[in-house]
Amino acid sequence: MAAYQQGDRDAAEALIERASPQLHRFFMAQVVSRRYADDLLQETWLRIHQARHTYRPGEPVLPWIYAIARHTRVDSYRKVRRTEVREQQVDVLPEAFTPARSHSGPDLESLLRTLPESQREVIVMLKVSEMTLEEVARATSSSVGSVKQKAHRAYQKLRQVLLDMGFGAAAARMD
Amino acid sequence: MTPQDMDRILAQAAERGAPKNIDPAAIGRAKASLPGSLAPVRPMGSALAFVSVLVAVFAAVAVCGAVAFGIHGFPVLSAIRRAVIFPVVFSGACVAAIASIREMRPAGGRRMGPLALAVATLTPLAAFAGLFRDYNFQNFVPEGVKCLLAGLVCAIPAAILIFLILRRGFILDYRAAGLATGTLAGLAGIGMLELHCPILKAPHILFWHVAVVWVSGLGGWLAGWIAETAKRK
Repeated sequence: MAAYQQGDRDAAEALIERASPQLHRFFMAQVVSRRYADDLLQETWLRIHQARHTYRPGEPVLPWIYAIARHTRVDSYRKVRRTEVREQQVDVLPEAFTPARSHSGPDLESLLRTLPESQREVIVMLKVSEMTLEEVARATSSSVGSVKQKAHRAYQKLRQVLLDMGFGAAAARMD
Repeated sequence: MTPQDMDRILAQAAERGAPKNIDPAAIGRAKASLPGSLAPVRPMGSALAFVSVLVAVFAAVAVCGAVAFGIHGFPVLSAIRRAVIFPVVFSGACVAAIASIREMRPAGGRRMGPLALAVATLTPLAAFAGLFRDYNFQNFVPEGVKCLLAGLVCAIPAAILIFLILRRGFILDYRAAGLATGTLAGLAGIGMLELHCPILKAPHILFWHVAVVWVSGLGGWLAGWIAETAKRK
């Protein structure tokens, strides 16, 4: 990132190459189509480029990137909602991404759909993007305690959902 | 079901869910969106430096405003009142400046705009309530409106200057930035009023002087909301 700030194009491309898969999964896990996730990814990199002077060398880069990514997603979501309210559907919408269904367990999309927005975001960052509590706290401009609380509440809710789906017995068998 | 079971199920669900492989074309498009030649940029200065600049702006606007309106309040304040009021207002300004700087860069730290507004209004309220005991309501509204307007006249240029400084960064949440900026600008208004206003009646100071911060803070939030809505359109 420091080399990117110095105008090194190769460093910028290496950063895009390295961080894009993780960012793409972050967007994909939040119930969006692949095309929508691609658009969000591109918009995020545009914003990262505009904001690159605000990164301070030596600080962790992941929370900084995710702070921009989550705002890009929220902005886009609000924009889409506003447009949806005004527009009337006249054509068939493009097919949304649907993960391959399996009988061996629930898919992440349907599990996350049961959670409120803020809890879903925290779970995606922790479990899909594999960030630490501190990194999630920085990315979401909140405290570690608040992230822990959201994750705890999300786990409580997910546990209930999984038990309702009959996964409690499966987990017991695994042990 | 233990948390470990939950972790395992979530990990398996994530594996089954969204595909891990990103379309290389999407990465290609992201790379292509970079401009042809990347201009080097200088990383932003430290948060402490920016906080110092914002506090200096707060102090300069308050003093310049008081000079422009006339310093009639400071001479009538007792030594104890001076020793309490100005440090309290200054502390509130420091908190509001930190809150503003945190909105200036992504992942800049825990959001504290509402906390800054609470500190900036409640601590002066407590200090004024302890220092002023004359509960005379005579001319409450005419005198008060004059002070409120004078405070806001001072807060507006302060808010513009603070916003110009914040724009050197990259504001993600304009509403939060507006709230913090408005609070700090309102404190510049209170600072000016404490130097300028010779009225020592408790209701006047408790209501109208502190109202400058409320109006300015909420005005900043509203301006941020308008800016954000306009940006999305």
